[in-house]
Amino acid sequence: MGQKDKAVRMSLQTLRVLEAFLENPADELAGADVQKRGQLASGTLYPILLRLEAAGWFVSRWEAVDPAHVGRPRRRLYRLTPSGLARASEVFASFGRGVTA
Amino acid sequence: MNSRNDKTDLAHRLILRAAQRAPAPLAPRLEEEWLADLGSRTGALSRLRLALGCCWAIGVIRHDFRVPQLAASGAAAAPKSLLGGWRYELPLLSRRTLAFIAIAAVHVLIIYVFISGLAQHVVASIPNITQAFVDPQLTPQHPLPAPPRTDFHLRPILVGPLDPPPLAKIEIGPDAPVLPDPGPRDSTDSTGQLPPQPPQRTAGGPGKGFPNTDDYYPATSRRIAETGAAMVRVCVDTQGRLSADPTIAASSGSRRIDDGALNLAKAGSGHYRPTLEDGQPVNSCFAYRIRFTLAN
Repeated sequence: MGQKDKAVRMSLQTLRVLEAFLENPADELAGADVQKRGQLASGTLYPILLRLEAAGWFVSRWEAVDPAHVGRPRRRLYRLTPSGLARASEVFASFGRGVTA
Repeated sequence: MNSRNDKTDLAHRLILRAAQRAPAPLAPRLEEEWLADLGSRTGALSRLRLALGCCWAIGVIRHDFRVPQLAASGAAAAPKSLLGGWRYELPLLSRRTLAFIAIAAVHVLIIYVFISGLAQHVVASIPNITQAFVDPQLTPQHPLPAPPRTDFHLRPILVGPLDPPPLAKIEIGPDAPVLPDPGPRDSTDSTGQLPPQPPQRTAGGPGKGFPNTDDYYPATSRRIAETGAAMVRVCVDTQGRLSADPTIAASSGSRRIDDGALNLAKAGSGHYRPTLEDGQPVNSCFAYRIRFTLAN
């Protein structure tokens, strides 16, 4: 776990973003998809995506389509990195401690 | 582009403008990313909300990524990431912390103002409006009304000068004649004979050691600058003590002022100057006026 992993502030909105990805960690999600899953405002979502990517929790890539062909801009797709997945799991596990089902 | 992404669309233009304000390496990426997400929205209100959110987000992103840190491996390695070598740095002081510090600073400033005495200068500049003063027109200079004339030749009642009242605002008013104490004294006997001579009578009043009027000025009246005068009737024995509870003979029009006057009259028991008849103290009832005024 790199030092930059520790630099992410765990706000409620950040947890919602991570939760959206943890539904299926292999999914690649665009910002609009995360918004729907996490019920987050765009003003909150995009800074969090950038922070998590810069901290190494996410990687992103452009959607493999031709904008001219599909008639729209390419979407930016985000995915959890293995270290990001492990760190996110740790965070949620720590929140789950002491909570009775 | 479809019609929703037309450049005349307000949401579209807002996103373009927001993306232009992003740090340079991020601007093209954010513009394309946000426009793609905008394309997935159909409702005009939903698109506008997304665009406004992007405008808000760009301020946060600029705050988060305001310090560019090129990769240590050199400029050639930086373009490999679309973050362009910009690295998220946890701000030293978050907005919440800054707000907290600002609020704390304001409190410290206010406390300093009070401790340093700066506020006292302001308070000192406020004129004191509760100073008592002597109203010369109300000092007991008026003679008591003459007794009704009869066919008999009576010696006039001479009222000696009053002692200088210790309290400027207490007076024997012109409408406050000395009231003879009924009962033990009767001016006629059963035979109808007149008394030989009416006694020389000196009205009683507040004497030495009588409480200070200011001490009984009702606090509420003082605060709202309420003034007034109440006529209080008291019955005093030969020792200058009250022989009955004082009553209001003429109200000031204010319940507070009347109560203050009664409290003062009660507190003065033992400090009244008894009425004198032929130089001898007698039980008597009389009325006097208590005035509560504020100096300018």
